[in-house]
Amino acid sequence: MGKKSTNTLVLRIIPYVSILSCLIIWQLIVVLNIVPNTLLASPLQVIKLFIYKLNHTQPDGGLILVHAFVSLKEALIGYVLALLIGIPLGLAMGWFKPIDGLIRPLFEILRPIPPVAWIPLTIFWFGIGLSGKVFIIFLAGLVPVVINSYTGVRMTNPVYIRMARTYGATKWRIFIDVCVPSALPMVFGGLQVALSVSWMTLVAAELIAADSGLGFFITMGQRLLMPDMIILGILMIGLTGVVIGIIVDKVEKRLVAGMWR
Amino acid sequence: MSKVSVTGLTKEFGDLTVLKDVSFEVNKGEFLCIVGPTGCGKTTFLNLLAKLIPATKGTIYIDNEEADPKKHNISFVFQEPSSLPWRTVKDNIAYGMQVKKIPPAEMEARLEKVIDLVGLSDCINLYPNEISASMEQRVAIARAFATNPDLLLMDEPYGQLDLKLRFYLEDELIRIWTESKNTVIFITHNIEESVYLADRILVLSNKPTTVKQEVLVDLPRPRNILDPEFSRIRNQVTDLIKWW
Repeated sequence: MGKKSTNTLVLRIIPYVSILSCLIIWQLIVVLNIVPNTLLASPLQVIKLFIYKLNHTQPDGGLILVHAFVSLKEALIGYVLALLIGIPLGLAMGWFKPIDGLIRPLFEILRPIPPVAWIPLTIFWFGIGLSGKVFIIFLAGLVPVVINSYTGVRMTNPVYIRMARTYGATKWRIFIDVCVPSALPMVFGGLQVALSVSWMTLVAAELIAADSGLGFFITMGQRLLMPDMIILGILMIGLTGVVIGIIVDKVEKRLVAGMWR
Repeated sequence: MSKVSVTGLTKEFGDLTVLKDVSFEVNKGEFLCIVGPTGCGKTTFLNLLAKLIPATKGTIYIDNEEADPKKHNISFVFQEPSSLPWRTVKDNIAYGMQVKKIPPAEMEARLEKVIDLVGLSDCINLYPNEISASMEQRVAIARAFATNPDLLLMDEPYGQLDLKLRFYLEDELIRIWTESKNTVIFITHNIEESVYLADRILVLSNKPTTVKQEVLVDLPRPRNILDPEFSRIRNQVTDLIKWW
């Protein structure tokens, strides 16, 4: 009993130990000048900058949380658009042959193009504001959402479909009653993938063309030769990504628990 | 009075003739078993009857009308588990009736009765992955009987269960059938099971499958597998499907 609880205690502490020792080594590397401060900022400098940026718009023109909020807003709008269009489209493609025949060839051509390849064109079309980024993220998120919804419907157990057919269920009824619920876990898998793809693409888009957002914040750090600013931007991107991931996971668990056990 | 009438039913998959010129009749309220050697196309046969796949030739009439799942009340109990995993036991049993648009009040009444008949009252709110394989098969059977089908097709529903459970569920099936008097076509490769259940047995031949012979089982229920007459019929059917 005593031994077991010590073990769990050790297991609980281990992750913090690893993070803490990394931070200490990092701090030492900078303090001992193994890497010059012009190339790498120490963790303490990054924290200091973070606190400073909470209520100062200098030197890039925005508060750090405003940048994060801008990125988050762009990502969520694009992402939600991708879900609203991608989920019904993928589900329908999986079940209705004519829709599959119409959409799939186009989709297969667009699919292998990396979303970032669209960035130059979207700058022409939308400029460097919100709508261009939303468009890129929409494209990026659409692909995994459609593929997973499609595959989810395709993987429906054929016995369930035959069962519904023998009771005289219409094609539409079978789609709603059997295929859609059966595809849900796959759809949610797609949402997670789409989320990480969207977030990555957003940062790439902001690095190239933006006047605010976390990617822009990093670019400014590069222009101003401030490694602490770059690192702060990177960490904020990571943290925000984790937070959205947790939210989607929670939503998924609640929704799927309602339909699946 | 014949409920189901099958004439000249033929199914070809390319050059392979699976079913050749099968004709037979099923009376209203009859329990018909179909037995045949392994791989003789029994499942194809049922799929044709349920209109899941189109026939190459021949007709299937129910009540003197071309069979159609949207019009007729056909139920199918599959060999494999077919309960929808996201529905509770109760909602699964209700599914057939929901498709048939049975009014809610009547649905509740029928649900209560059929759940009681199959002895699932204690687990109506459980999900399929929380119940055993035999209980899942009872869910499928309850779902089928709840729609009060014109024709109930059963494809080796007990094939994957152990002997003891099978005996138990066979008795249960006969009990429900005796009460509901639905017309049943039950496919099995188990000869004893067919003699135990059926009013009449159709013995199928090897591919291309035809009806080799009909065997009447005129024994009182519940049947005793040690009854000499039971053994005689069982041996008769066994001899008919021997191919070795």
